Order: sequence, then structure tokens, then C-alpha cells
Amino acid sequence: MLLLLQVLANGALLGGLYALMALGLALVWGVLNIVNLAHGAFIMLGAYVCYYLFTLAHMDPFAALPVAMLLLFCLGYALQRGVLNLIIRAPMFNTLLITFGFEVVITFLAQIVFSADFRAINPDYAGANVTLTGVTVPLVRLAAFAVALGLTAALSLLLNRTRVGRAIRACAQDLVAARLHGVEPRHIYALTFGLGAALAGAAGGLYGIVSQINPYIGGALTAKSFAICIIGGLENPFGVVVGGLFLGIVESLTSVYVGATYADVASFGILVLVLIVRPTGLLGRTT
Amino acid sequence: MKHTLVLLAGAFLLSGSAAASPAITLGASVQMTGPLANTGRYYRDGYEFAVKRINAAGGVKVGGQRYELQLKMLDNQSDVNLSVRQYTQLLTQDKVNFLLGPFASDFALADSSVAEKYDVPMIQGGGASDQIFTRGYRYIFGTLPVASKYFASTVDAMTRLEPRPGTAALLYADDAFDVAVADGTRALLVRSGFKITHDERYSSNASDFTAVVSQLKATPPDVVLVAGHETEVLNFIRAAKSLDFSPKLYAFTVGVPTADFRHALGHDANDAFGMTSWVPSAALKDPYFANAAAFATEYRKQMGYDPDYHVASAIADVEAFARAIETAGSLDPKKVRDAIAKVSFDSLYGHIQFNEVGQINLPQTVVQVQNDAVVPIYGQTGFLGKPVYPMPAWGHRM
Repeated sequence: MLLLLQVLANGALLGGLYALMALGLALVWGVLNIVNLAHGAFIMLGAYVCYYLFTLAHMDPFAALPVAMLLLFCLGYALQRGVLNLIIRAPMFNTLLITFGFEVVITFLAQIVFSADFRAINPDYAGANVTLTGVTVPLVRLAAFAVALGLTAALSLLLNRTRVGRAIRACAQDLVAARLHGVEPRHIYALTFGLGAALAGAAGGLYGIVSQINPYIGGALTAKSFAICIIGGLENPFGVVVGGLFLGIVESLTSVYVGATYADVASFGILVLVLIVRPTGLLGRTT
Repeated sequence: MKHTLVLLAGAFLLSGSAAASPAITLGASVQMTGPLANTGRYYRDGYEFAVKRINAAGGVKVGGQRYELQLKMLDNQSDVNLSVRQYTQLLTQDKVNFLLGPFASDFALADSSVAEKYDVPMIQGGGASDQIFTRGYRYIFGTLPVASKYFASTVDAMTRLEPRPGTAALLYADDAFDVAVADGTRALLVRSGFKITHDERYSSNASDFTAVVSQLKATPPDVVLVAGHETEVLNFIRAAKSLDFSPKLYAFTVGVPTADFRHALGHDANDAFGMTSWVPSAALKDPYFANAAAFATEYRKQMGYDPDYHVASAIADVEAFARAIETAGSLDPKKVRDAIAKVSFDSLYGHIQFNEVGQINLPQTVVQVQNDAVVPIYGQTGFLGKPVYPMPAWGHRM
């Protein structure tokens, strides 16, 4: 019983981080209809930014998150404004190819610049934990979870309550109408892509605190984020959170009660099931 | 003046042609980029270092003629299918004379089939899985210890610890090498009277070990043995710390002896047990380098990092070729193959002599990270150093 509670806690904490990883991908996918295959590479870059701020500038890794977000935002904005906007009307296959290209280039450059060494963001408090009724809760994971939920809430507020957010949603819903109301899509698209990259940057920093970093972590993280987007649906940020939590808990349960080697089978199996049964995601509207 | 110029030019041409002594080309496809580049680069560096040194010492003598060693290395981008194509290309288009191996068992497993098909010997120091050597192949030779015996010295040491541990958990990744390690270790544990409490296989590149660690913590074993990759070892230790799980001892197949590992984990690397087939000691004599200790110093100076057993194994592969080609007195792949099967010499890596299936017999030395440094703990002759055992709980470490 205690094991079950512990596993559920692990799964939920893992799920929060998963959700934040997927959030940026879902935003870009939902608004721009671009499945950004370089998303995991952005996460990797965010992790390195935090790593170097922590090791070289001795910044607290959580304090480094906003810096990583800002840098990744600029990168995302520039990539969308300078490259992706040129082919935004092309078939989806073209954007897939070009983001795949970004992935390859970013990863390769990362290996040259950062080397293939394995890194970890390891502040003194990285292993701190509290025990509540027999369940051990790692504090860093809990903090990462809180940051993930906070950023999701912030994104939701931004999309629903601000002028920029309305413009972003308008572009997704009806581009012609949005333009008629004075929205500048080139800017809004770049802003959205930048936001997606910034969220990836934050996720990367947190990932580096709980796991390890190397230039090649991106591919697997893109795949996981993709699965979460499908499971959670693209319609609202909280769907992604549900998708992330669901996946985290299912993976943890599978790992303990079925076998650790089946964790990925479970997550991608669920992806297929969701596509068959609820193609709009767990929280998506059924049409 | 004009004449001097002509003379100079002539001399230059002559010296140019004299320097171009005939060459023996060793081909290899290694992981220079991609997820395995972290370790793949050690093979690239090791091969280059060895070839440079052997050429500086006069190259390889075949029938009175001096040959220079050349390397033809390709980057397989950590893609096993690409590496098979590249080895085929090395033999069919680039016409290399002999083959050096890639890193990792699954690569060596696939690539050795190319060597076997074209009857060209491959000496590799990157793949240890027993599977590579049990297919009746004649052209594959390996300089890593046998996978199934990786934990042999660790289990041996465990039986001599006070208080003697009684239960053990075995965790392993689901690739060719780690499954072979687990199969061998399981038998060793049972034979030495340990009770196996957990026997868990996980997917390669798993990043979350909180579930597995929670499971271990629910019914804690005395000892945890992990056969996996360095990223997984890092994740395992970080998860163990965050969930406050510390068995009396945990030991890992890879990662622990590398500088990279200690750098990534900092003080959290302390107390982890690992193994290495190579300790750079002055007792290991070498035909090209004075001894292993001198080699390690020189390597560090030139390459900027400490060599580990991957590097030493790669160097031994090149030396084994040089030795075998000289003994064979020929570049004929079949003759060289037979000469490799018979080599017996001391190298900086250890004594190189292949058994009937093509593997060398090399015991692992158990090491432990103590005060941020790798300390040899247990070898063939018994304890070499004092282990920190039982490991202190996470809250009670320095």
C-alpha cells in the first residue's frame, strides 16, 4: 500500500515535468500547426543554459530558469520570424522537415560547443526530501512540479485574459478575421513560437536538475512531448497537464507492477489507444 | 642560383617520395557523433594515439620492408545500421587492410559479421557481450573482459566484506551487452549464496528511476548491482538520493571510472562501486610506451583528459595488429588472422592473448569513488584498498 502511494507520488511529480515539456510543443502545434521536431533540442539548450549559469555564474538553478526562458524565447522568435514564417502556408510536411533540420543542426552544434560529456545540475539541495506518512517526496521534484503548474496557469491566463493571448487564439481560429482586426500574424506567429521555446527552456532547466544532460537528450524528449500532446489534446493548456500527469503515473505504475522495461510500451500504447478512441485528446471536445 | 633551386626542388621531391613509405590501412567506424559519442570518442582518440606512436617508433616491419600504419575512420553517428554499411564500404571501396572495432556490443555484434563475410580480421575493444564470440566466427577478436564475468570480482569481494551482505538486487538494461552481464551475474550471485531479491530489466536510455528505486526501497536489498549505460547510472544515483535510498553497497558496470561521471555527480559520486579492466600501473610494461603509468601521464598531457580502460583497450587493439602483422610477415588477411590467434605479449592494457573464441582473459578490478577520486578496491590478489562499506546514508555523508 505504501509502495503504491509512493509510486503514485513519483508518477505525479514526473508527470508535472512531462507536462511542462509538452506545453510549448502543444502551444506551437495548436496555433501554428507546426509539429516542432526541434522542441526537444530547445529543452536541451535550456538545460545547458541553466547548467552553465549554475556552474560558471553560481546562479541558483531555479533563478536561472527565467534567463533560459528569455534566451530560448529570442531564439524561437528569430527562427519563426526568419525561417518558419516563409513556409508557414506550405504543407505540414515541409515544416516537419525544416524543424527536423533544426533538430539535427542544433544537436550537432551542441556537441561541438558543449562536448559529449554528461552533465547534471546538482545544487546542494538536489537530493533534499521530506517524508509524509511514509511517502518520500523529493523537494526538487516538488518544486519542479510547482513551477510546471505555475507556468501552465500563466500561459492559460496569457491566452485567455490578455490582448496578445486573444490575438494568438484568433490567429489559430480564423486568420482572415484576425487580420481584419489588425493582428499582425508574422509577429504573433513568432511570438507564439518564442513562447513555446521559452517553455521548453524552463522544462530543460528543471530536467537538468532532476536528470542528466547531454546533447542527445532532445529526440526522446520530443517523442515524449508528442505523446503527451496527443493524450492531453491541444485545446487548452490544462489538457496537457492532464496528459502529462496521466503519462507519468501510468509509466511509474507500469514500471513497478509490470516491469521497468515496459514503461515506454505503456506510454506509446496509450498514445495509440487515445488516437483510436478519443482523437481530440482526453480533455478534447468530441466531435 | 637557378641550379640551386632545381636541386632544392629535386631534393624536396625525393624526400617527399621517400616519406611516402608503403602503408597498412586500418579501417574503423566509430561513434564520433550521436548519443554514444561520449564513449565512442575514446576509441577514436585511442586508435589515433596508438597509430601515431607506432609510426614514430618506425612503423610495422613486414619482410624487411617498413610500413607506416594509416587509419581510415568513419563516423557512424551512433547508428548501428550505418556502421554495418561503413564497414562494408571500408572493405569494398576503401580497400583497407584490417579492421578495428566500434564501441558497444550491439555494434560489434553486427559489424563483426562484415569482417567474417569478407574474411578480414577485426580486433575490437568496444564490445564484450558473449554473443559476439559464440557464433563460431573466426575473424573477430576482442580485448574487453567477458560480459558474463563483469561482476565476478565484485561478487567475489562481496563474499569477503564484513558484515557479509546477504541479499542482492540486479538491474539491467535491455541490450545485448547488459543482458549478457545480467545472465552471468545471476549465476554468480546464486553460486556465492546471495539471495536475489529483485531481478529487473529496464529499457535502455530510461531516464526516470524513481519507480525502480521506490520498489527497491520497499524491500531493501543489501547490495544493488546495475548493468547499464552511464546516463542511466547517473539517473539511478540521482533518483536514489532524491528518495533517500542507500543500500549497503551499489555497484555499476560502467561510468564509475570515468572523469565525466565524477564531474557530473560531484560529491554524490562518492561511495559508488564500479569496475575497470585497466588500472594505469607502472607494472604494466608496453612495447611502445614505457609502461601504463607513463602512458597515462603522456596521454593526459596531449589529450587533456585521463585515459580509461576504453582508451587502453583501443590502444591494445592497434598494438595487437602491429604485432600480428610482423609475426605473419605478410599482409594477407588469412595469415594475419592466424597470427592474431597466436599473439602473446604484454601491453599497457594487460597481457594480450586470445582464447579459442577470440576473447582475452582479463579480470575486472573493483573500484570505488572515495573523496572524489577512483580508488582500486579489489583485484585478483584480494583487497587492494579499504572499501567504504556499508555506504553511509545520504544524510550522513560528507
